[in-house]
Amino acid sequence: MNGKRWLRNRIPFLLINILCMTALGSFLLITGNSRDAVWLILIVWTLILCAGLAFSFLTRKRYFERLLRMAEELDERYLIPEVMEEPFLAEDLAYYRILRMAERSMLENVGDIKRERAEYREYIEQWIHEIKTPITGIRLLCDNNRSDLTRGIMAEVEKIERYTEQSLYYARSENTQKDYAVREISLLDVIHGALADNKYLLMQENVCLELPEKSACVYSDEKWLRFILDQLIVNAVKYARKTPEEGTQGSQVDSPQGATGTEPVIRFLTEDRGEYVTLSIQDNGMGIDAADLPRVFEKGFTGQNGRKVQRSTGLGLYLCKKLCGKLGIRIEIESGTVGDRMENGEIQQTGMIQQVGTTVKLTFYLNHLIHEVQEK
Amino acid sequence: MLHKIMIIEDDPVIRTELQTLLKANGFETCAVTDFDRTIREVKTEDPHLILLDVKLPGKSGFYLCSEIRSFSDVPIIFVTSSSTDMDELNSIMMGGDAFITKPYNTAILLAKIRSLLRRSYPEKQKGQLTWKGAILHPEEGSLEFEERKAELTKNEQKILYYLFTHAGTICSRADIIEYLWDSRLYVDDNALSVNINRIREKLSGIGLTDFIRTKHRQGYLI
Repeated sequence: MNGKRWLRNRIPFLLINILCMTALGSFLLITGNSRDAVWLILIVWTLILCAGLAFSFLTRKRYFERLLRMAEELDERYLIPEVMEEPFLAEDLAYYRILRMAERSMLENVGDIKRERAEYREYIEQWIHEIKTPITGIRLLCDNNRSDLTRGIMAEVEKIERYTEQSLYYARSENTQKDYAVREISLLDVIHGALADNKYLLMQENVCLELPEKSACVYSDEKWLRFILDQLIVNAVKYARKTPEEGTQGSQVDSPQGATGTEPVIRFLTEDRGEYVTLSIQDNGMGIDAADLPRVFEKGFTGQNGRKVQRSTGLGLYLCKKLCGKLGIRIEIESGTVGDRMENGEIQQTGMIQQVGTTVKLTFYLNHLIHEVQEK
Repeated sequence: MLHKIMIIEDDPVIRTELQTLLKANGFETCAVTDFDRTIREVKTEDPHLILLDVKLPGKSGFYLCSEIRSFSDVPIIFVTSSSTDMDELNSIMMGGDAFITKPYNTAILLAKIRSLLRRSYPEKQKGQLTWKGAILHPEEGSLEFEERKAELTKNEQKILYYLFTHAGTICSRADIIEYLWDSRLYVDDNALSVNINRIREKLSGIGLTDFIRTKHRQGYLI
């Protein structure tokens, strides 16, 4: 509470007091009292008045500070009328009533919106489950009539699936309850699953894949992890470097080894460090601008490359980060021009100065869950 | 002996296409169309394996599964579009053997069906494949011709396996690559050429020449 302002509010009251003091002083002087006596009375009056004002200011101040503290401690600030006691002063009581009214209408609104959101979420999940039936139908129809046409259709169907999955996980990521199950899973199996999800895209783009020899076990949710890998694989393909001179047509004839240097490569590396397991997904794409790097996990952030290459939703990495957060996986991203980070030196052999594209590193802490249990 | 697979699925497109797919992969199929008499049909058809949709008109798949379990131990694969853990748990509780979510990768579905059948009906292994005097041994990864053997790498063995199972028909390069991808071998177009050349060298080493013929712009034929 601002003291100055409070004092300014008291000006009418003080004016009345001064008026009364002058009136009383004049009256006493006229009736023949000594000057000293009048001064004494006026000084005592002033002192009592000041003490009264100070006392009332301090109690008011303490009262409001307590209310403020109470409000700050609440998660839902608008619930303050529920915890404050009914005030004694008439004005306070009026304000209290107004607060209660505001609270009630707020609660109604919040309830309505919560219900609407839950219904909408339910509808979205329902819709996603329903759309999967026709997608399955298309998949089967294409599989039974394989040709270049159906392969083209399948690549598009994969995109549809990807978008539906994305919206499903978006709806789920908003949810606070845990709807995942952690169990022991083989990283290599999840990688294979994610590659199968994007088979047609990867075949279409002629992506060269490098997988780890040995699998590592982690404790996580398979479906969520697979979704995360899907996003990362699609990103790697989306931001692959495409040089117009060496497209997909010419490269088959003159390079029987299958490595043209401009071919997109996605490399999966696992590392088991006992305490934790890391999975890195490397590509040789265009990389990410250093200025954009800190913001790639933000919702709706597309960055320079996102605008350059294709329409980018800015949702993929945001969802990855969010789901990783829920699963207790650390996700890091780096991008650079350092050549020596390539481990088997394969790319340098082509005689080109190659950039290492983007590397996304997932770190699974094996005892993360144990910590979580201990905390509870 | 052909294994008979029963499809309990309410979407007509998926039902007929699944039947086509399974027939093309060497299974006998039957499908339920009248969902009020599902149990009776299961009893009369007595299939080797059941593909059961969870969301069915009338009774749910979970309920049907527990009903079937009361009289039969037939392997049951649940197929559902919902991917929640609750459903997966339910399917196990009700006696399902496997759980697969729509939209499924057909290669994965077929692999699940085959492994489940192999586990439930252990019988003669259809080991070797023969075509024009050449014998392919998929287990040991080798090809035999007139008492001479050539060792094959995993890629080569899978390519030959595909050609042998489609013997007499032209196999397009894209089909072979797709089959390899489904077998978790990520081979691109160039690598396929390299592998085919290597197979041809190995074959001529054991006296088989012109076994794999190239059909221009169409694919390979044995």
